[in-house]
Amino acid sequence: MNIFSLDWYLIALLVFTGFYCMLASRSIVRQLIGLEIISKGAMLTVISAGALTNNLVFAQALIITMIVIEVVVVAAGLALLVKNFRINGSTDIWKLNSLKG
Amino acid sequence: MIYHTLLFALAVVFAAWAVMSRSLLISAMMLALVSVCVSLIFFNFGAPVAAVFELSVCAGLITVLFIGAVSLIRTDEEAHPENRVRFYALPLAGAIFAIAAWFYLPGFFNELSSWARIGRGGGDIGLELWDMRRPDLLGQLAMLAAGVFVVKSVFPRRAKGK
Amino acid sequence: MDKGLLSYILIPLLSAIIIPFAARNRPRLADLLANATLVAGLANLAWLALRPSVISGGFADIPGDGLSLLLVATVYLVALCVTFFSAWFVKEGMPNRQAYYSLILVSVAAMCGVITTSDFFTLYVFVEVLAVTSFALITTDESAGGIEGALKYFFLTFPASALIIAGIAVLMITLGSLSYENLHIFMSSDIPSGPITFGVALMLLGFVIKSGVVPFHTWTPDAYQGAYAPVSAYLAGIVTKISGVYAIIRIATLMRFFDGRAQALSGILMFLGMLSIAVGALAALRQKDLKRMLAFSSISQLGYIVLAAGLGTPLAIMGAIFHLFNHATFKTVLFLNSASIEKSSGTTDMDKLGGLEHSMPWTSWTSIVALLSTAGVPPLSGFWSKLLIILALWESGLKVYAILALLFSIVTLAYFMMMQKKVFFGKKTPASENSPEVSAPLLAPAVLMSALIVALGLLFPYFFSYVRMVAERIIL
Repeated sequence: MNIFSLDWYLIALLVFTGFYCMLASRSIVRQLIGLEIISKGAMLTVISAGALTNNLVFAQALIITMIVIEVVVVAAGLALLVKNFRINGSTDIWKLNSLKG
Repeated sequence: MIYHTLLFALAVVFAAWAVMSRSLLISAMMLALVSVCVSLIFFNFGAPVAAVFELSVCAGLITVLFIGAVSLIRTDEEAHPENRVRFYALPLAGAIFAIAAWFYLPGFFNELSSWARIGRGGGDIGLELWDMRRPDLLGQLAMLAAGVFVVKSVFPRRAKGK
Repeated sequence: MDKGLLSYILIPLLSAIIIPFAARNRPRLADLLANATLVAGLANLAWLALRPSVISGGFADIPGDGLSLLLVATVYLVALCVTFFSAWFVKEGMPNRQAYYSLILVSVAAMCGVITTSDFFTLYVFVEVLAVTSFALITTDESAGGIEGALKYFFLTFPASALIIAGIAVLMITLGSLSYENLHIFMSSDIPSGPITFGVALMLLGFVIKSGVVPFHTWTPDAYQGAYAPVSAYLAGIVTKISGVYAIIRIATLMRFFDGRAQALSGILMFLGMLSIAVGALAALRQKDLKRMLAFSSISQLGYIVLAAGLGTPLAIMGAIFHLFNHATFKTVLFLNSASIEKSSGTTDMDKLGGLEHSMPWTSWTSIVALLSTAGVPPLSGFWSKLLIILALWESGLKVYAILALLFSIVTLAYFMMMQKKVFFGKKTPASENSPEVSAPLLAPAVLMSALIVALGLLFPYFFSYVRMVAERIIL
């Protein structure tokens, strides 16, 4: 087993943790934390792919863009969370059931 | 090699801690530690620019945002605690996944790495971004504009809420 | 990235940044600026595509590959309809009026970015911009339903992005580059594709989730129903189609599904397409809310596009592109009409509505045109695109899929007839007693789109040559 596959194996564990958090939790904050963990895993795949193929500069260029995107996504998600808390008075995602059909 | 793998393992441990912790504040802190681990991994790979970005933005800015939001809604979280059983089951589920994946995934990734096409490497990060990835920079600009307008739209009367 | 179409990204972005400053104290100026930007873009596009030298030369020297020009035009058209409608629909005192128009313009820029790029990572960047703007747009009116739809959209769309990034990482390893061209060259050669198919499959899974194909469709009805009324037309008409389905069509052409190099992927995609046709149509039959029914119908129509993209022959790709365009026209009409009904009678519950035919004749007739086009009744434009898709299926020997697609197009007609009977025909209910026809500016976009549907249906032979040119350019 080479180091690359060990890295990706651990990344798979990281992503599994994130998905588990998103599935198990009812709180929107925790779901956001799960989302963050998943996106960390995605970043690690990119940098490790860059290291494997000797394309680190290219991988870094991608990662800088991804970090900018991640910040805006998290800020927007937290904005939604706070607004939901003001309107519905709750942070529980399963209490959102006004729409049915 | 050992240091490298240790960092990956630490990231997983901190992530699991962030998921399992009872208090949201500790979760946010653990998320920051995951970011620090990821940043150290970037350094170890020889990607210092990305590492500095990760450290300052993800471990710094995002944690501040998280803690700000958590402190706004903490009363509700404390009034309605979640069912903890599902979170305590995480190590068990994780272990089952890890053992099952151990037989399948490394072989798969080994084969994947044998398909690697080695690039020519080299180059300068700034030039790379400016010359090759200029559409991405335009995308970043659009993303930042979108972020500003999202906050403006979600919190209309305040200049910049949160 | 296509330099010839760059200005269609930059100008809306610039306009979006100007709006909050220029219109700080004059809210109506925001409407004017947004509409003027989009009209100018459309006029420019019309000149680009319809000037005499281009037509006589068989579209030889238009910028891009034709598909991008057609889709940029669709984006501008739908966005113009929505902003024009909003200019009269949005309430006077709405506090985030400027931000609303800015967000629409940023998302127009992002969609043009998605369309004109030729690199998978740039595609991902612009898709993320689009997602961020669209869930802010969904919550525009600060209702509980809106925020719920936005949150569901948020928590399904960003894990999908992580899948796309993982696919990009696999492509980085095995292809060494992320440009469409390299993938296309690689797939045209005889080298065994190996894990490249795996990377593309991960990306396809992400885009399938983002476009709301059936096993992952749960966010779609909630987002469309809860969204601010004009925004649901915008989302259903164009945003989710560009952020998901466009990439699926693009990957289908790049992977050369038609010569069987990615047989498994193509088969799975076609199965998911058929599944969404069936589930969407059957679920639409038993909806009580007008907007929710339209959302399920949108899932069902999306299935036709994915089915055709999964088949991947030139004829099927032609059908998929044409159906994407048609979907934008008829779904915009239907959702804008549902917004008109909501404004006029205060509800979109189909049990409470009835007999609107007499009080709202224009809304009623434009809805009939749009729904007949959706169901594929000749000679409207929807008929031709469905005909192309079914013919392509039949030609490739997939007779079961062809027959099922035909049958479910009859189910489409059935549920739309039911909707028309409940909402527009029959006896007047208390809710529709005092609901007058909405004002002329609110009707204009629906009438324009209906005219387009009829005109495209009648002038199909001319349009066909354009669509065939598009399909040939992107496949060969």
